[in-house]
Amino acid sequence: MTGREAADRRRALVCVAPTVVALGTLTVYPGIWVIWLSLQRRVPIFDVSRFAGLENYAFLMVDPRFWSSVRTTAVFTVGSVALEVVLGVAAALAIHTQQRGRRVSISLLLLAWAMPAVVGAKLFEWLYHPAAGLLNVLLGGHRINWLGDPALALPALILADVWRTMPFVAILCYARLLAIPADVYEAAQVDGAGRLATLTRITLPLLGRILLLAVLFRTLDALRAFDIMFVLTGGGPAGTTETLTVYAYRALFQMLQLGFGSAVSVVVFALVMAVAWAYLRLLRAGTVAA
Amino acid sequence: MSPAPRRSTLALVTLIGLLTLGGCAAGQESGTVTLVFKYARILGNADPLPGLLRQFEAAHPGVRVQGEALPWTSDDQHQFYVINLEGRSPGFDVMMLDCIWVPEFARAGWLLDLTGQLAPDELAPFFPSAVASATFDGRVWALPWNFNVGLLYYRTDLLAKYGLRPPDTFEELIEQVRRIRAAERDPALDGYVWQGKQYEGLVVNVLEAFWAGGTTLMAEDGTVFPDPTRAADALALLRSLITSGVSPAWTTAADEELSRRAFGDGHAIFLRNWPYAMDLFEGRGSAVRGKVAFTAVLGRAHGARGVGSTGGAHLGVSRRSRHPELALALARHLTSEPAQRAIALGAALSPTRQALYQDPEIVRDHPAMPQLQQLALAGRPRPVVPYYQLLSATVQPEFSAALVGVKRPERAIADASKRLGFFLQAVR
Repeated sequence: MTGREAADRRRALVCVAPTVVALGTLTVYPGIWVIWLSLQRRVPIFDVSRFAGLENYAFLMVDPRFWSSVRTTAVFTVGSVALEVVLGVAAALAIHTQQRGRRVSISLLLLAWAMPAVVGAKLFEWLYHPAAGLLNVLLGGHRINWLGDPALALPALILADVWRTMPFVAILCYARLLAIPADVYEAAQVDGAGRLATLTRITLPLLGRILLLAVLFRTLDALRAFDIMFVLTGGGPAGTTETLTVYAYRALFQMLQLGFGSAVSVVVFALVMAVAWAYLRLLRAGTVAA
Repeated sequence: MSPAPRRSTLALVTLIGLLTLGGCAAGQESGTVTLVFKYARILGNADPLPGLLRQFEAAHPGVRVQGEALPWTSDDQHQFYVINLEGRSPGFDVMMLDCIWVPEFARAGWLLDLTGQLAPDELAPFFPSAVASATFDGRVWALPWNFNVGLLYYRTDLLAKYGLRPPDTFEELIEQVRRIRAAERDPALDGYVWQGKQYEGLVVNVLEAFWAGGTTLMAEDGTVFPDPTRAADALALLRSLITSGVSPAWTTAADEELSRRAFGDGHAIFLRNWPYAMDLFEGRGSAVRGKVAFTAVLGRAHGARGVGSTGGAHLGVSRRSRHPELALALARHLTSEPAQRAIALGAALSPTRQALYQDPEIVRDHPAMPQLQQLALAGRPRPVVPYYQLLSATVQPEFSAALVGVKRPERAIADASKRLGFFLQAVR
């Protein structure tokens, strides 16, 4: 028995080795390298390369631009994910209850989702155009300064992001709805449950886990959002739409501050890991409860 | 990297190539040299570049020039170069450079020093400020290819209607906008449109306001914001243009194209932009055709005269080029007088050679060329320092914050100085 167990374990190790090696070279090694870089003052073109300890992080702690980008990232993530979930579930329910036109609705949803982020952003650049934009024309010819007003720019970006990624939530939920057996609803009807009770007591609880998964994916994406603000506002006005990843990009590729930029990237990494860990715990807790 | 490992890598790559291609590789002509030229697509109805590259090939038998387009935006182009040059990729020989990158790339050791290869008077026909922006540390790193200078465009029909001369100062412009708009009573007609989005264009507009107010972003000795009070005053003036309605609220989101379109559609009296816009205003189907002229950018009533910021593109040779002599020959060919004439006639780009501004053929097509030459000669470059990108990326959000009113101008200047202090202490 023990001999066979040992052989099994060996075989398992051999099977898992390629994954470990691939992850190690593609993820762990660059990850450690970035952490190492973040502890340095490194500006290659000026031949600056010296160990700086936590200097970069110390500057980040008192850097208003960094804290502003943390706030922007948080507002963007919470705002866009919350709206996506509400609208996504609503869209899934609407498609599910519909008899005709399901295919067309799903195709239309997928169209937005399949569009490259930069193309979607360009589309919104025209929608938000102050003088000729469709949105302002629809709103009665008001010249609303969507992307140039510090109070409106971030909501405008959230809206554009919701339009593009809500379909992802909708389709996942729709797939789950299809898997709920019809007799569950019949039983509810026999018991005299109304529409609202059916929704809150049966449909939403059954959607719970898939929704949590969708939220996990969307949150991790939103925390790393880059394209949409890069194309539409470049982080402005007044830095109000500069997320952590945009800030990291500017530090790395424009200012060429490899050490400092890496420190910002490490913060993004830590944030994403913490959120992923929290969600996974929630998911596991959900499994035990169910 | 020493040449030995590179040669062995090359041998290995060649070997793999031969193995995969088999007999096909033998079909390649021996002795053919391929030069790769990286450039940004030229806007205009007739792109003269392919013809110019074929000309070079005809004059240099056995040489093939491969033109490769760069990404569309300046930020992406910069990123492309940084990644490839820092990664020691020999993927290109001649590169088109935004003039603000030259000191940075030279300092990084990515550009070939051209000083020794040039004849003593070879750069004399070019605009001195174009040559200045291709020079760093007393050495020449690139050849000036096309030239840009900030201009103030105005509607000749509207100004003539009210008997006004083109404004020299911000104060005059504000007065004229008030008069014309009060009389025209057209809610769709804006006064003065310019570039206030948080990007490089904003820095250029603010710099011109700094110069008009008698100060600058960086003094000769490298001090940033040598006169913070005047700098804050200039920012306050720009902010007041928006709050008073002389400039529309959307100025804070406007880049060159957004503002150019508003003016080109006939919805603005004044516009600050580059020379390329003139051709579009004079194009067929333009709403403002024959109603546009330009003058120097704005000065201040009790300050300096308006001086436009200069810009443009240079051609540099990569230090990793395997054929530096041929690459320099190509850069010379493309910046030669005939080539620049072809570009000036076929595309909306201004030459760097002064003689072309008096060239009869070009002046016939573009009657404003002699005037443009005078404004270009007076133009002033942005700070010629290797850390210009750092400077610009740091001040952009601060200038934008002052413009949209979330920070007082004094505060924005102080915050920008503090941040620059942290980054600059390491690189100077």
